Amino acid sequence: MPELQRHVDELMRRLDRMGLHSQEAVRAAIAAVDTRDVAAGMAVSDGDGVVDAEEVAIEQECIRLLALYQPAAVDLRRLCFVIKANNDLERIADKAASVGRRVRHVVDDGVDLAQYDEWPDLEDLVTSRLDQTLRAISSLRLEAAQALIASDAEVEEAYSRLARHAIADARKAPDGVDLCVTLVLLARAVHRIGELCTNIAEDIVFACTGDIVRHADRREGGPG
Amino acid sequence: MSDTTPMRAAGRGMIPRAAPRQRVPQAEGQPVIRSRDFTLLYGTKVGVQNITMDIYPQSVTAIIGPSGCGKSTFLRSINRMNDLIPHVSTSGRLQVNGVDVYDKRTNLVNLRQQVGMVFQHPNPFPKSIYDNVAYGPRLQGTRSRSRLDEVVERCLRGAALWDEVNDNLKKSALALSGGQQQRLCIARALATEPKVLLMDEPCSALDPIATGRIEDLIGQLKAIYTIVIVTHNMQQAARVSDRTAFFCLGELLEYDRTGTVFTRPANKRTEGYITGRFG
Repeated sequence: MPELQRHVDELMRRLDRMGLHSQEAVRAAIAAVDTRDVAAGMAVSDGDGVVDAEEVAIEQECIRLLALYQPAAVDLRRLCFVIKANNDLERIADKAASVGRRVRHVVDDGVDLAQYDEWPDLEDLVTSRLDQTLRAISSLRLEAAQALIASDAEVEEAYSRLARHAIADARKAPDGVDLCVTLVLLARAVHRIGELCTNIAEDIVFACTGDIVRHADRREGGPG
Repeated sequence: MSDTTPMRAAGRGMIPRAAPRQRVPQAEGQPVIRSRDFTLLYGTKVGVQNITMDIYPQSVTAIIGPSGCGKSTFLRSINRMNDLIPHVSTSGRLQVNGVDVYDKRTNLVNLRQQVGMVFQHPNPFPKSIYDNVAYGPRLQGTRSRSRLDEVVERCLRGAALWDEVNDNLKKSALALSGGQQQRLCIARALATEPKVLLMDEPCSALDPIATGRIEDLIGQLKAIYTIVIVTHNMQQAARVSDRTAFFCLGELLEYDRTGTVFTRPANKRTEGYITGRFG
């Protein structure tokens, strides 16, 4: 096996591990919201540095391999994928930290999430998408990535339903605007995790096929 | 093989294959070089077989592939440099500007005037810089000193060498550096006003600086000439060429835009070769 291939394989394994860190942060942040545990939420935020450091280390290794081996074809595509997915996984962990920090606002503003059936739907959908994304990263399977892209609208819909409900409540009770803002910002951060999963899925498609499917509908000439 | 050597149909040892993927758009003018099922045998050994590809004007086409895959054989077929090798036979069709390269009526001198060649190792004549460039035009009958001066300056400028040597054109070409000698060979090839430039690993004997200059020069020359380059250097093929052809065991396996070949090759063997997994 060529040396570059061994290095890229190792990077893929590091990316898997980084994904698990991000997933753990997301789960912990959401659990902190559900249990209204401010300390647990802040712990997620405080732990974000581990993922940040790993992101930088992976990126440095990618740059080193690009400089030393000037990869082509599948090696180039996988390396580009690692660079992009690495960045997205770090942003997922960032969003988890943001959710963790918002637990304080949820408690202080008296947001009662039990009133919002849309919240567990959004939580379940996003955590499930993140699980699928991590499996797709491990296997680098085109079909798994395409399934994630195809179901992207579900997250948007779940977020929109929750936001509409929160805004409707704010209209009914104008003194509850702070509560509404807290809830929408919280939901927005979780929704963004779902979007980042889609970004990673699009990058898996590139790694498998070389096609850039991002914004394909808006670009002349379609993917590629 | 001389002009009078009979061409034999290729047949032994050949395996029929499906045509390779070729997504090269044809909306860029008529091809300068057109190969149709071109086969060349060394005795019974296959040099290249069933090569079908079009090479377009004002572009750089790179031919890559493992050692012995036939890339240099194909390149040298374009101006019949293989003729001197005993027991060579060809079949199929190979045309340059619509002229059948292997037609008995084809004038070899005219063909090589149209199809210049630059070799792996710089091979200037043991003459002055001036006389190296003027050699071809003199053979073609140009005697006027002013005309020769004009050709020498134009070609040395075209090969990005003029500024380095114009103050001493009487200097021996052999006193130049390797990179300068190679650019002189390019200038010499340009002097006969070819349509096509064939380059057989033109930088393999040069250091990175000289290589960079030749690559820059290739980028400039393609505005005027059709360039076909054989290289073992994958990064060089990726940098300088518009299209890349991958040869393997005498066959053309893939021919496409260079960006496509180096990011998402269609053929597993192409991918294996350019990523160092085989070859």
